[in-house]
Amino acid sequence: MATAVTTQQRRAAELTVIARQQRSLWRDALHRLLRNRAAIVGMVVIAFFAFVAIFASVLAPYDPNGLNGGVKNQLLEPIWTKPFGGQYTNPAFLLGTDELSRDILSRLMYGARVSMIVGVVPVSVIFVIGASIGMVSGYLGGWVDNLLMRVTDVVYAFPDLLFVIIIVATLRNTDLGNLMDGLVLIFVALAVVNWVGLARLIRGQVMSLKHREFIEAARCIGVPPTRIMLKHLFPNVLAPVIVSLAFAIPGAMLTEATLSFLGIGVRPPTSTWGFEINEGFVVFSTTPWPVLLPALCISAILLSCTFVGNGLRDALDPRSKI
Amino acid sequence: MLRYVIRRLLLIIPTMFFVALITFTLAHAAPGSPFDKNANRTLPQETIDRLNRYYGIDQPIPIQFVDYLGNLIRGDLGLSLTRQRPVADIIGQGIGTTAQLGIGALVIALSFSIPLGIISALKQNTPIDYLSLLIATIGTTIPGFVTAIFLIYIFGVSLHLLPFVGWGSWQHMVMPMFVLALGPGAFLTQITRASMLEAIRQDYVRTARSKGLRERAVIVGHALKNALIPVATIVGPATAGLITGSFIIESLFNVPGMGRLYIISINARDYPMIMSTTLLYAFIIMIANITVDIVYGVLDPRIKVA
Repeated sequence: MATAVTTQQRRAAELTVIARQQRSLWRDALHRLLRNRAAIVGMVVIAFFAFVAIFASVLAPYDPNGLNGGVKNQLLEPIWTKPFGGQYTNPAFLLGTDELSRDILSRLMYGARVSMIVGVVPVSVIFVIGASIGMVSGYLGGWVDNLLMRVTDVVYAFPDLLFVIIIVATLRNTDLGNLMDGLVLIFVALAVVNWVGLARLIRGQVMSLKHREFIEAARCIGVPPTRIMLKHLFPNVLAPVIVSLAFAIPGAMLTEATLSFLGIGVRPPTSTWGFEINEGFVVFSTTPWPVLLPALCISAILLSCTFVGNGLRDALDPRSKI
Repeated sequence: MLRYVIRRLLLIIPTMFFVALITFTLAHAAPGSPFDKNANRTLPQETIDRLNRYYGIDQPIPIQFVDYLGNLIRGDLGLSLTRQRPVADIIGQGIGTTAQLGIGALVIALSFSIPLGIISALKQNTPIDYLSLLIATIGTTIPGFVTAIFLIYIFGVSLHLLPFVGWGSWQHMVMPMFVLALGPGAFLTQITRASMLEAIRQDYVRTARSKGLRERAVIVGHALKNALIPVATIVGPATAGLITGSFIIESLFNVPGMGRLYIISINARDYPMIMSTTLLYAFIIMIANITVDIVYGVLDPRIKVA
């Protein structure tokens, strides 16, 4: 009698397992991602900066390039320094003003725009170029593959930032360098330098997948190569690609900030966080705020992106260790 | 093995050629000449022509490139356009300082990252582990110049403990070296931790424990030895990180090294300087990568280099 019950119970349990709605790999990954607290915090911070960036023209209290009354409003300190003896505060300028008496809060808001655009646009370009060349080179091989490997050898011999600096510095005064205050040139430089890494990643993945049975089966029934690449290979290499792109976004933001800090990024007076630091450094010993505040913004956005990237990596590839 | 080394060394030549070609083309494709920098004091056209002739930049670009390569092979790096001195001299002056900064940073990075990584792995999922992971994440994420700003604010501006302009005494060196070490060091910590975690779960470590070795001997003699192999491979990328980091750190702290020279010559469009420094950087990175691959093969006989 007792055994009968257990058999029945086991059968019932088996049936529940079968009846349970199947969860896809992606749903599982999403579930794991949403359980990651650091990643959630990161997403909230990114959403905040994205909101500020989109609505900067509405939210900003002043014109980011406006010289608010000149000398008398120069280098005001943030209002929270007042209780600690800050003498140069003005409630009209929440975060104070810089050496040209421009409102720091407004400049930071417009700076968020540049960071966000630089995070999105070049990375999309890298994705399109890197994915197509990586797929073709991995699946078809041949001269495309040979060429890719030789190009990679050269690009890898340049340190990334060195290559970007050379491109941006030399082409700054051309027509390309003048588009959108120099932003387009930064996009181009980032794409040229970074597509290779993604192409190589996809190539490796495709090469290890293309001899598996499901691809052979597809080939046997006569599926054309383009369709195999798009419908069968691509979804299977997507997970590492997403992780790699998630880390490419803060990488691009960091490069832009570094270029602007070195004075070869977006043209002034366009406000970017990196260039704020460059300009504010002159008065750093007098008042640190024009430098510290953008530095805090850069740190916050980069850390948030990394947290989300880590979360995605853990969610999509639970076996990875670092 | 010898064939592999020779092949890798020979591959340097075509790679360097392309690095030179790309840099040269880009540097010369830009409009304007290095002598029209100052808009207020324009030079007479005659003078510019003579200057261009003197420095050979009136020739077509392909001819200039061939000339440059020819001189380069003979060890002549050309004259700096802005300093009127041989490029080799200028680089010779800066390279010592940069090497000092870079080696100092590498030593600092290795000496904090490896112990931190090991401790973190041995005490996995304890507060110490979380702290070191947090430090590593911050170190790899936040760029050197931003960290430098916070440090300058604390130790330079507020506490007046350390100078933050120039180079020379050890007080000058502390902050630049530490900031430069932070990025590669944080990355090395993550690698050491991961590699150590893998090593302590291996059978040979269990064997060492079960035969009654002291914990210290197990960790240092058996686990650590193997765990450090992947760490060795990171030294190549870490060198690249130190080099690119040095541009920014040297510019920020006003260190008279190659990195700052490089940024200055880029802004001044000093072609011979840009070319030589770029080639030198690329060469150092390639040598570092080759050395790492060879050392990897020697340390881990399971890796077959071919």
